[in-house]
Amino acid sequence: MAEKIRVAPFWGCMIPVKYPQMELSVRKTMAPLGVELVDLDGFSCCPDPIYFKARDKVQWLTIAARNLCIAEQAGLDVITMCSGCTSTLQEARFLLAEDENLKALVNQKLKKIGKEYKGTARVKHIVVMMRDDLGIERVKSSVVRPLTGVKVGIHYGCHLLKPSQIMHIDDADYPSLLETLVRAIGATPLTHTEKLLCCGKGCMDEDMPLQMTHEIFHSMESVGADVMGLICPTCFNSFDMGQILIARKMNREFNMPVIYFCQLLGLAQGFDPEEVGLHLHRIKIDQVMETIAASETVEIVVR
Amino acid sequence: MTEKKVGFEFRERLNKIVGGNHHNYCYQCGSCVAICPAARFSDDFNPRDILLKTLLGKPEELISADSIIWKCTNCYSCYERCPQDVRPVEVIIALKNICAEDGVLPPNVDKFSDTIAKSGRSVVMTSTVNRRRAELGLPELKDPPLNELEILLE
Ligand code: SF4
Ligand code: SF4
Repeated sequence: MAEKIRVAPFWGCMIPVKYPQMELSVRKTMAPLGVELVDLDGFSCCPDPIYFKARDKVQWLTIAARNLCIAEQAGLDVITMCSGCTSTLQEARFLLAEDENLKALVNQKLKKIGKEYKGTARVKHIVVMMRDDLGIERVKSSVVRPLTGVKVGIHYGCHLLKPSQIMHIDDADYPSLLETLVRAIGATPLTHTEKLLCCGKGCMDEDMPLQMTHEIFHSMESVGADVMGLICPTCFNSFDMGQILIARKMNREFNMPVIYFCQLLGLAQGFDPEEVGLHLHRIKIDQVMETIAASETVEIVVR
Repeated sequence: MTEKKVGFEFRERLNKIVGGNHHNYCYQCGSCVAICPAARFSDDFNPRDILLKTLLGKPEELISADSIIWKCTNCYSCYERCPQDVRPVEVIIALKNICAEDGVLPPNVDKFSDTIAKSGRSVVMTSTVNRRRAELGLPELKDPPLNELEILLE
């Protein structure tokens, strides 16, 4: 077995409170990959990069720095499971490294609670950790039931990739990270015209977010996607709940299961859908399971 | 002829907000507009135009609870594309901070931020959350240290 990796998971708010099935899938799938998740006490909301940041950027930075201090004190790097958390914590690191005065101001506040931000803990989204620290081969070797025949429409979301000046993980216009991971679990990644379109969640307009999610589903459907694969609970909310709203308000049914990447990984590692919480999703995945089962039967016949 | 004067006072104020000073670098090329989803899906949203209004120091149309700036999706595409490192989305967020200073935040932004300040979480905990987590075999969620947050946010 390759070397064990120890990291501090930063679960954020949406996942542990609203979508614990995603947390379940992460805990289940990291063990076979040799990743030890060291849960640290005391994290708060990252805080949210849309509304909380809109009210006061300095407060936003201070709370983010406080979270990072906890990982620093434990001597661990952080993995994030949500693109919003990734955005906040990475941008805080960037700004505090870029601007000495800002760092001094934040540290002056942190001093009141006996903390000091140094900038020693790194932050990575879990999919980036898989590619860069574990390596694709290790992900591949954990697969016991390849998702052969499952066509995954990838949704990147915005904050994993952009701004590349801060995120430093891929080409923001022609990314390959998620395609590589989807291939590693035996499924087929599909490219489609709206692959990089925003889910619209941060926009405070009644109609626009729904129009955006509609365009994304339409684009995925037209290339024949079986499921939508994504890596962010906020995007998930836009698409899972969003499909219900689109059906109600726009009279258009897509019926496309929306699956968090670690849940797909879990299926490929041989876990049952319930073991990675897929029974909690609004759009059911029976069709997908049939495709996987069918490809398994074919393999047996071939052998 | 006063309307032709640049409102430097407002620009000075914007410069003091984190990221606000980058508005000075905008040369109005429009690259941000081409990539902007909010511009694509609405008739009136235009990041170049928002930057123009800040350059002219004319905040009247921007600083309000129903201003166009709240339609920005925060997608960071403009930040990616801008050749001048304006980081347009960050300028827009700086403008939102000015809305907060002037007491004209949209009510839901204020409410959402209060939830985080008071509970340490953006999603409200209910009594069922830990029960559901236990059913899935997940550890109990504990409250973040609210006393520390209170000190930091005072
Ligand atoms: S913000 Fe940047 S991309 Fe947009 S108009 Fe100004 S210089 Fe051009
Ligand atoms: S962050 Fe806002 S202004 Fe920038 S491209 Fe996205 S929607 Fe447009």
